[in-house]
Amino acid sequence: MTFYLLQALNGCAYGMLLFLLAAGLSLIFGLMEIVNLAHGGFYLLGAYLGLSIFRWTGSFWLALAIAPLITGGAGFLLEWPFLRPLYRRTHLDQILLTFGFAFVLTDLTRWLWGADVQSLPAPRGLDQSVVILGTLFPAYRLFVIGAGAALALGLWLGLVRSRLGAVVRAGVANREMTQALGIDVAAVFTGVFVFGTALAGLAGVAAAPILGVFPGVDFDILIVTLIVVVVGGLGTFSGAFWGSLLIGEADTFGKVLVPQAALVVIYLVMAAVLLARPAGLFGGRAR
Amino acid sequence: MNRAPGARAFLPASGIRGGRRLVLLVVAAALLLVPLTGSRFAATTLTEMLVFAIFAMSLDLLVGYTGLVSLGHAAPFGVAAYTVALLSTHGTAALAATLPAALVAGTAAAALIGVFALRAAGVYFLMLTLAFAQMAFAVAHEWAGVTGGTNGLSGIPRPALPAADLGGAVPFYYLVLLLAGLAAVVLARITRSPFGAALAGVRENEARMRAMGYDTFRLKMAAFVIAGAAAALSGALYAYYNGFVSPDVLYWTTSGQVLVMVLLGGAGTLAGPAAGAAAVLLLQNLASSYTERWTLILGAAFILVVLAAPSGLAGVAARLGGPLRRLRAANPGAGPLPPAPSEGAAR
Amino acid sequence: MGDDRTVASRKTLTRRTLLRGAAGAGLAGAAIAGAGSPGARGFGVPAVLAAAPVKIGLLVSYSKVYGQLGEDITAGMTLYLDGIGWTAGGRRITWIREDEEIDPQVGVRKTRKLIEADGVDFLTGIVATPTAYAIRDMVHNSKTILVVSNAGGNLLTRARRSPYIFRVSFTSWQVSAPFGKWFYDNVARTAALTAANYGFGTESLAAFKETFIPAGGKVIGEVLPPLNNTDYAPYITQVLKMSPEATYNFYSGSDAVRFVAQSVQYGLAKASRTTGAGFMVEQDVLPAEGVNALNIYSPLHWALKLQNPENLAFTRAYRTRFKRDASVFAMQGYDAARVIVEGLNRTGGNTTDKDRLVEAMAAVKFASPRGQFEFDPNTHNVIQNIYVRQVRQIGSDLANVVFVNLGRVTDPGK
Repeated sequence: MTFYLLQALNGCAYGMLLFLLAAGLSLIFGLMEIVNLAHGGFYLLGAYLGLSIFRWTGSFWLALAIAPLITGGAGFLLEWPFLRPLYRRTHLDQILLTFGFAFVLTDLTRWLWGADVQSLPAPRGLDQSVVILGTLFPAYRLFVIGAGAALALGLWLGLVRSRLGAVVRAGVANREMTQALGIDVAAVFTGVFVFGTALAGLAGVAAAPILGVFPGVDFDILIVTLIVVVVGGLGTFSGAFWGSLLIGEADTFGKVLVPQAALVVIYLVMAAVLLARPAGLFGGRAR
Repeated sequence: MNRAPGARAFLPASGIRGGRRLVLLVVAAALLLVPLTGSRFAATTLTEMLVFAIFAMSLDLLVGYTGLVSLGHAAPFGVAAYTVALLSTHGTAALAATLPAALVAGTAAAALIGVFALRAAGVYFLMLTLAFAQMAFAVAHEWAGVTGGTNGLSGIPRPALPAADLGGAVPFYYLVLLLAGLAAVVLARITRSPFGAALAGVRENEARMRAMGYDTFRLKMAAFVIAGAAAALSGALYAYYNGFVSPDVLYWTTSGQVLVMVLLGGAGTLAGPAAGAAAVLLLQNLASSYTERWTLILGAAFILVVLAAPSGLAGVAARLGGPLRRLRAANPGAGPLPPAPSEGAAR
Repeated sequence: MGDDRTVASRKTLTRRTLLRGAAGAGLAGAAIAGAGSPGARGFGVPAVLAAAPVKIGLLVSYSKVYGQLGEDITAGMTLYLDGIGWTAGGRRITWIREDEEIDPQVGVRKTRKLIEADGVDFLTGIVATPTAYAIRDMVHNSKTILVVSNAGGNLLTRARRSPYIFRVSFTSWQVSAPFGKWFYDNVARTAALTAANYGFGTESLAAFKETFIPAGGKVIGEVLPPLNNTDYAPYITQVLKMSPEATYNFYSGSDAVRFVAQSVQYGLAKASRTTGAGFMVEQDVLPAEGVNALNIYSPLHWALKLQNPENLAFTRAYRTRFKRDASVFAMQGYDAARVIVEGLNRTGGNTTDKDRLVEAMAAVKFASPRGQFEFDPNTHNVIQNIYVRQVRQIGSDLANVVFVNLGRVTDPGK
């Protein structure tokens, strides 16, 4: 029994990690209807920046605070000159642009930081293990659970309950009307995109002690965050949260119960969810 | 004016009608004659480009003509490749046996995926195709006893034809060229037909087609299966070309690569993706020999295409050939649509 | 007006300078060309410039997860070739480097280019085993000599061997098989096994069991996470449930870093003794693993701190030149270059008579940084010592220190 409880805790920790990873992607899609395929690239950029900041300052927390700012800046450099002109065009064109940037970011990070497998150590205080249910459990993963929950709460308050959130959602629902009301929709979009990429960078630093930092991890997490976001229902905020938890638990228990299918459990779950509810768990209507 | 019906659908719309035919003739001549220069390397490079040209054209039937963006097109491709590998190494090497078997297997895989994936649309459809292709990848990866697992299946002999020896680079090249040409003609005919026009209708406005009485699910399924069959052909040839198959052939990056070829070349024409395939392979093979930054170059090229040339290389070619005209992924002068079932019933 | 004249005169001056430069270059060129021809030795130019250079095709991974391995192999080769002045058998050596990208389809493509378009005399490198299998037929049929500096799949020098394929690295069997018996004698009588679920991983576990079980050892459980797995927690929890005394594991690259870290975090490292194939704690991943890897025993055919004169010289020279510690991959590259060079020296630079060259290379024997190096005449796989190492803290760095020499190990060949 303890074994299954432990696995459930593992699944919860992994799910919260996935939520941190997926939040930025979900935000940008939910508010701008763009699937940012460069999401993995920004994640990796944030991770490497965090690594460098950590090496210069010796502080994990500084890395966690500063790396997202720089990553957001990079997001701005993508959005303003390149993405903005494409808002008039189809969503496919916008997605393809981000795809091109995914390649650029993956090579750029490799060029600047090398091909080594690197890792960012967890901050002092969180780099030990605590005893839970009779076995050791890394404190850092508990931190990730807490951070994920805090982010979820913060985003919910900020988007669903605040005026800013209302403005953003209005801008997506009906651009012309919102513009007519005197709101600079283009600036709002830029802001959202920058915030989304900053979140990706934040996830990069937060996940680095667990996933490691090396070329290739960007596309790995891109796929899994796409799955999470699609399962939950693209563009719905609760979808991203519950989708992450579902995938986290499914992946963990899949590995334990059906080891031969470990590679495909999350794909099977996604297929099953989409076939039962074609717009994801919480998706309003199929896009 | 007697124009080869295949040619017009094959090439991008350009101002000079005769020019299209000329371009086609020149390309055909080059493809026929280049191997005779004696360069084995040229023959093998062109063979690979032709194989991927078939693959890209097959995906374009889905992406450009029907509006279905699939990220799982590696599935029929890979399944066919593995069929060839298994049959050739354990059973017979006769082309007459392996090719039909591979086509059947690949098409069946496409049909199975289509039944499920086509129930969704847009990004959800994309993710479902990805999911099913990844499942196929997992099977190939795990079922090591049959598929060789991560080490793959190697030692695939060249196909055996009763009259010819296809061991050499040049004879094999001509086989691939012949099959590629057949595939191109068949695909062009399909896009020019009433069926092709119906697909275009589905792409433009599916709700309206349904309102007119068309069974859009059947239409999309048909497109999916035909595209799968063509992909299976390219997959079978790919296995022969490499003499080796590994699970990477089913991985999502293969699906991504062929999608890049289609989009770079220009979705909505058939020549576009073929050119896109050649361009991407050239970039991958040539650029990577000179610089380690070729991924950066590919990304930059992609961005450039999206920003400046959204219709891909085909669009650029069209604009060079005639008056500036936005290339529409349409079938100019396609035949009349087949009578919608409701119309027939009313009579 | 005045400006025009000045501009004109500057132009004329430039043109004159250009003409002078061209004339000078032409003269120099003629001189060099003249000196190059066999007859004109008047300028004292050595005859080595006269013959065509030997072309080596170096195909390793420079991108993706195993990019560092490719860099290391290249560095090792560079170090050796610099040491002999890039000449062997009276000919200059040049190389063409390509990226195999850990994708066998790309490997096949690049190999085809190197053999058919570039006409290389030797092919070397190959980091990933699937790539090696993929190109095996092409290499064999074209009689191109391949010196494998990494790919360790057993079959390459067993069922799929070729006289033209030499392997200077290892077979997965060689690394893990001798360790099974030693594990039984020195670590524990029972073992839990885990490995990344792919060829290298499963071959390593099978080799371990080949000597562990006949010695009396009992395997209490086997867990196989997928390759590129991010979260080992579910698997480690499973292993903990078995209450193992000790474990034997196989992971490489980023998988190794994650597994080693997570096995400490989840208490596996404390609850049982951790051992693993050498690649799990080799120099490429050790810095990232840090203290999580301390005290892990691992078998491998080399160690950074192996004490013999060749290794001391090699590691010192490598550190001075590249400002980082050598790794087993760098050492393999170093030896691969040496094998090619010694082969060339023995045939006097003759690369057209392939069979003679193959014979010469098969007979190559020397003292390598790993110990005595020689080829098995049947399989053309290296015969070498396997060492048991332990990760220890040396000053401020971590390094693998040799604990025991398990002796000469020859791959069975079938």
